[in-house]
Amino acid sequence: MRGALYQRTPLMNAYNLAFQTHVYSVLPPSFTRGFKELVTLTFSLSNVTAGSEWLLAIFNQTDRSSNRVDAALWSAFQRLGLSERYESLISSICYEYVEKHIWKTCVGKWDEPMLNTIRDWMANKIVPWMLMPFARGAKNSDDAKSMLQGVGSRLDFHVCKTLADIRTKEIFDIIVDYPDSMNALKDLKECLARVDQRSQLVQILRRANKRRLLHPGADTKDILTQYVSIIRCLRMVDPPGVLLFKSLTESRRSRPDTIRCIVASLVGDGESGDSLVDENEPIQPLQQLQAEDYSDPNWEPEPIDAGPDFRTSKPSDVISTLVSIYDSKELFVKELQVLLAQRLLTITDGNYDRERRNIEILKIRFGEAALQVCEVMLKDMTDSRRTDQHVQAQKTMVLHPTIISKHFWPALQSSTFTMPGQFKEYIRAYFATAFKPDKKLAWLPHLGTVKLDVELDDRTISADVMPLEAAFIELFSSKETWTVAELIAEVGNVDRMMALKAVSTWVNLGVLQEQETDQYKLLNVAEPEDALARIRAPAPTHVEDMPPITSVQQQQAEQMQVFWKYIEGMLTNLGQLSLDRIHGMLKFAPGYDRNIEQLAVFMEAARREELVIAKDGMWKLNK
Amino acid sequence: MSASPGISAFPRSDANLFDWVGTIEGPAGTIYSGLKWKMSIHFPANYPYAPPVIKFDTPCYHPNVDINSGAICLDILQDKWSAVYSVQTILLSLQSLLGEPNNASPLNPDAANLWVRPDDFKSQLLKHYRPISE
Repeated sequence: MRGALYQRTPLMNAYNLAFQTHVYSVLPPSFTRGFKELVTLTFSLSNVTAGSEWLLAIFNQTDRSSNRVDAALWSAFQRLGLSERYESLISSICYEYVEKHIWKTCVGKWDEPMLNTIRDWMANKIVPWMLMPFARGAKNSDDAKSMLQGVGSRLDFHVCKTLADIRTKEIFDIIVDYPDSMNALKDLKECLARVDQRSQLVQILRRANKRRLLHPGADTKDILTQYVSIIRCLRMVDPPGVLLFKSLTESRRSRPDTIRCIVASLVGDGESGDSLVDENEPIQPLQQLQAEDYSDPNWEPEPIDAGPDFRTSKPSDVISTLVSIYDSKELFVKELQVLLAQRLLTITDGNYDRERRNIEILKIRFGEAALQVCEVMLKDMTDSRRTDQHVQAQKTMVLHPTIISKHFWPALQSSTFTMPGQFKEYIRAYFATAFKPDKKLAWLPHLGTVKLDVELDDRTISADVMPLEAAFIELFSSKETWTVAELIAEVGNVDRMMALKAVSTWVNLGVLQEQETDQYKLLNVAEPEDALARIRAPAPTHVEDMPPITSVQQQQAEQMQVFWKYIEGMLTNLGQLSLDRIHGMLKFAPGYDRNIEQLAVFMEAARREELVIAKDGMWKLNK
Repeated sequence: MSASPGISAFPRSDANLFDWVGTIEGPAGTIYSGLKWKMSIHFPANYPYAPPVIKFDTPCYHPNVDINSGAICLDILQDKWSAVYSVQTILLSLQSLLGEPNNASPLNPDAANLWVRPDDFKSQLLKHYRPISE
């Protein structure tokens, strides 16, 4: 305080100026470093006296007005004008110290709220220290508070920023750890409220997703599980969902089977039994895109960093969010249909309760109208049974067909092989009794199963097999040796892979034996077991079980064939056209929903097939 | 835009759907085979209660087609019009008209007279014909 008194006199001022000029000019460059170390040391002794002997030795402490051992040091700094000159250095030392502390205590510690712990630590450790350099002139505690306000809030910002940096860096692992990392997310939310680093968070999360999640080795189901966690976590950090929208949109369409996975988990189809959906979460209707209600007194504008295509979403359940990432729910319903068709066709015991239950659940989400088709599919199944009972009542048949309505089922892969011999008879007999004359039945021979007994000289083999397999074994009853080519010729339209697979089923059952390549012989008398083992070919695993239902992708390709008719039409009549024109014209075609990039890909494919020629951006038919 | 071979039609632009362009190939086995004609189809506002206005853009030497204006004399495009006709049926009728002209009511009397002499007719046809430029 004496220094302050003297400074009022001009003479003293002049003296100070001259003194400081001389002292500062002779300070070696290493002074700053030393000063920094000295100040850093003071952190450890702001409250304690132990370990501060060297200070007491230097200053021969007499000033008892302060209870701090470093008070003398600070007043020496003050008197030398060092506090003023190195103020920014002192604050940066403080920042560094705090930062180091946060890094030391917070990294990887997600199970407890750290922000408050740090703030407590600041209040207990740093604020008392700050009193010395930043609030020396304070006469009472109120005075000190107001002096510390500026530097204190800057420091608090720095704390938030440091913590936000750490958590942002760790975000992917935090999400993996969810819900154990709940507290870390709460911290992050609070920090982000002070520090504007939301876009950085999104970037880092996206990059991490790309690197750690969306690589080819990851299972789609795992990806979805992580997505669900991301949704839950980001919803906590950012309730309006802007971050969420931004982090997920880009990566969404990278996998063709994503929708299928989501749909499968919608109906609780997960093999492991745990579905993505929390059982406790109430099932809600999917959010419809709705105009904003400006008369709503609780209306809030869209967050400032929301993109133009951000869709306001009120907090909704996870599935709604997953679905909303895609442009339309129609895609989902379509995929759902395919899934349902596959499942219905595999049910043989006539128990459709599970499917019915699923459809009812999904109705709540997607709305009654969207699932009408699924209703029809279900009804087809039950109707088929009724029809079957009716037909059986008239005349007993071995055939129990499932009759499906073509227009309501997803496109079934068509295969038109003809069943030979007795099967043909059965089918013919059935058609004769069909009792709805206004409906036409088209037989789909490749679906379904045949339960048959193969009676051989020494044994009878019962099996449930595919129709094609049944057709083949029937052929063997007329002749003992067949080549694959002959078999195919007999049933017609079957590709070789399918035929080989069907034959190998019987080889594995010990009914057929491969004599030469592609030539098979009926084993009327069983081979001895060891010989069998030798012959028994491993089922050709490379033949994938083809789903009988045409997938959505295939359907799209077929749709494109329809659009090709339009393109052909316009190119015939209008001569050459630009891609834009073609795209614009196609918009009139019913059901055209491709974007111009997809069209470009298609046209490029057409060019490779030499259907069209492209020149100077204009397309014309190749004639 | 149809499954019928040799005929097709498409809106001229997406701005005006009443204005179409059609293409007809000469039916095989007739004097017109191997040639192609472009035509304009304009639908009136009260279509399909009134027939579309169709004319050949490519010059067509034919008893029932005016060689200069391209106007067509076909009953279903005039008094026999019915709302059940579609672009496809009209174009099919026109295609068959090429092979079987109605020489009783010619728009082009020279062509009607020449019809009985196929060789002379063909040379006249080719004299007037302009291939469609892409």
